Amino acid sequence: MLKVDNIVTRYGAIEALKGLNLEAREGQVTCLLGPNGAGKTTTLFTIAGILNSHSGSITLEKDNLTNLSAAGIVRKGVALVPENRLIFPQMSVEENLIAGAFARPRKDQPAINADLKGIYERFPQLKERSAQSGGTLSGGEQQMLAIGRALMARPKILMMDEPSLGLAPIIVEEIFGIISLLNKEGVSILLVEQNARMALKVAHRIYLLEGGKVTFNGNPQEMQQDEVIQRAYLGAGST
Amino acid sequence: MPNDYLLTVISNIGMISLIALSAYLLLISGEISFGQQAYFGISAYAGAIATTLWGWPLWLALLFGSSLAALAAGFVGLLTLRISGLYFSIATLAFAEMVRLSLFKLTYQIEIDGELIGPNGAEGFGEIRWIFDNDVSVLEYTLLIYGILLLVLFFLVLIERSRLGMIFRMLGQDPLLTRVQGLNPVRYKVTAAILAGFIAGLGGTLYAHSFTYIEPQIFNMMLGVHALAYGLIGGLGTVLGPLIGVAIDIGFLESVRVIQGYRMVVFGGLVALMLIFMPRGIFDEKRVYWLKSIARRWFRA
Amino acid sequence: MTDFLQNCIDGVMFGSGYALLALGFTLVFGVMKRLNLSFGPSIMLGAYAGTWVYLNFSQNALLIVLVTVITTVAVGIYVERLCFWAVRRDAAIASMVSSFAIWMQLEEVAMHLLPERTYPFPTFFTSTVIDIGPFFVRSEHISMFLLTLVLLALLHLFLFRTRPGLALRAVSDNPLASTYMGINSSNIFFLAFAVVSVLGGLAGFLILSADSQVTPFFGLWATFKGLIAMMLGGMGSLTGAILGGLLLGVVEANAFWYGGPLIRDISAYLLLFIMLIVRPGGLVGQRIVTQQQAAYERV
Repeated sequence: MLKVDNIVTRYGAIEALKGLNLEAREGQVTCLLGPNGAGKTTTLFTIAGILNSHSGSITLEKDNLTNLSAAGIVRKGVALVPENRLIFPQMSVEENLIAGAFARPRKDQPAINADLKGIYERFPQLKERSAQSGGTLSGGEQQMLAIGRALMARPKILMMDEPSLGLAPIIVEEIFGIISLLNKEGVSILLVEQNARMALKVAHRIYLLEGGKVTFNGNPQEMQQDEVIQRAYLGAGST
Repeated sequence: MPNDYLLTVISNIGMISLIALSAYLLLISGEISFGQQAYFGISAYAGAIATTLWGWPLWLALLFGSSLAALAAGFVGLLTLRISGLYFSIATLAFAEMVRLSLFKLTYQIEIDGELIGPNGAEGFGEIRWIFDNDVSVLEYTLLIYGILLLVLFFLVLIERSRLGMIFRMLGQDPLLTRVQGLNPVRYKVTAAILAGFIAGLGGTLYAHSFTYIEPQIFNMMLGVHALAYGLIGGLGTVLGPLIGVAIDIGFLESVRVIQGYRMVVFGGLVALMLIFMPRGIFDEKRVYWLKSIARRWFRA
Repeated sequence: MTDFLQNCIDGVMFGSGYALLALGFTLVFGVMKRLNLSFGPSIMLGAYAGTWVYLNFSQNALLIVLVTVITTVAVGIYVERLCFWAVRRDAAIASMVSSFAIWMQLEEVAMHLLPERTYPFPTFFTSTVIDIGPFFVRSEHISMFLLTLVLLALLHLFLFRTRPGLALRAVSDNPLASTYMGINSSNIFFLAFAVVSVLGGLAGFLILSADSQVTPFFGLWATFKGLIAMMLGGMGSLTGAILGGLLLGVVEANAFWYGGPLIRDISAYLLLFIMLIVRPGGLVGQRIVTQQQAAYERV
């Protein structure tokens, strides 16, 4: 569905992505794992059009996303739940959600209203706090809001950048529950995580990134069979 | 006998260079002051009062005016320690406007040779006759101005090569990092403010004695924004940057006939374009480094 | 005491005009985190265009308002493209200095266009004095005050009830997150400048119409009053702009009554200077705006 083909992204002279290939399939959770600085967030930013790739191509179904603007890519159906949640702290919860639908055409308004209702049914906590400003929510609620906001764009694929970052373990469980529920309902997800254990539970396919390149790809079973990876990422033997 | 008009332009460049250098010193340490005209004005009034009303010699008046300006700058520097960026710029502007408006209220006159002399509010302060009374020619006074300018430049070059200058530039690039390095930005910010106030002050007293008449309106924010713009045009990579900026404006723009009356249109547009294409001026750090390396190669060859 | 209260009433009337100007500053600052010092001069050019139509063509109030507003918007867009859009995204200070330089440019242009400096500005308010108990109010000030309230209400509707208004607040609240929503911030900056210029043009028209004349000093006056009022209230805050405007009006009215015009002007700068030192975030803003914030932005 989403195909990234031989992407090179540079920060000045530094090559952050050195010819990266990956594919996220429809209806699956695809997970990018890797150490800090491996290029996970850079990959998401390049797909989202926040960073421009130097060469290579990105396609979503039949649309070529390479070198479209960030706004254009949202319109094509790629939504990003950014790292550290990044909600609008001064705006109300409801306004945050409405802002998520900005990329959709105005004539969609009835559908947008219906989607808003849908989000509230999915996240009743958000409905309770719909008039409260975003900044007053707890970390987990903000993550829900960020996910809900991204869903308001009715994306074909939802990209999530480290949704577990800075959240308490019990909240992390909850967020991953939401992720697998969304996936069961048919949402395709591209997930970036450091928390390999949680990621393995929900992912259909894993990509390991190191130094701007994919060093492994396969399903979770294959990954668990690979001893070297097992030791590096899951800390076999310990814990 | 050199042309007096030409000499006036040249001496004008010298005096305005001093206020431009004072704005430059703050610019490289990361603060944009819209208010250096305040210290220029304070010293102009104080220095002129010292020679005209109290009969002091010029060198003492220079020292007195500039010290007073440095004192005021240090005071403002201390008060504005907590703020930076736009807040600092607007605060300095507010202070400068307070000073200018207060000068409208300043009346201090003494009868000398049957005439009331001294600052008289909006009427201004005329008869600053030290140059005439001491038979100093325009040429001699211009040489004096450039002597002082050279001293200041020499001093600034020394600072730039010292630890202090490096800390100023560090502050300018990243105050947070400076603190992380274990340096106390407070001390250096106030030091920069005092030095800048003193340098602007030197220009002020010289200016008052050169023109023999001053009024509060001279020290308005037009002067301040010019002082700032000179560094931004000429370049922040070298102390000569502000001087080049002044020379471009006063030496070139003012003398070109075609743009008479449209000088601000040209100058304002020039500054805006410079900020887009060369945000740190013509001679910024990179180009200065490049020129230096070329010069070194030439020297060796 | 009566004097003081009377001054406060006058101050609130004037202050409403300051509040309108401050709203212009605060909207631009809120959205772009930058100061547009050319705001006053662009209004002045708009007013000059309005007065030019009045002197040469027509005394139709609507037409004059229209010309004033359109010219202000045109100049505003020139400033936005040159000093804000073209300047690097992270260089807030460069934009401020650049808009300062363009101010000088606009002022000279105005002097060339209308060299006699002072021109009559059409008055559409009838001037009478209305007594309320021991106090009195001039009718043109009441009209100005009421029209200001109407403008405020319209602005509020725009910001809180329309989609572009929401987008504008989204960019202001979290520029990075708004790009993820597919909001093109460059368009929003343009929109902010257009809205602010319309507001400024209308404010200029109201204020000058109550004054019945326009001079080249209006640019400086409008920039300073708006800037001071905004900074008193708190940069980027809408409530702050209104409160700051009213506070400035009241302080000035009293300073004028007890000390004269010079003291009035000094008091405004003094108030600003003290506020910046003691509470740089303004009346409603954050208390600490520098070091912590800078550190926070790094995270």
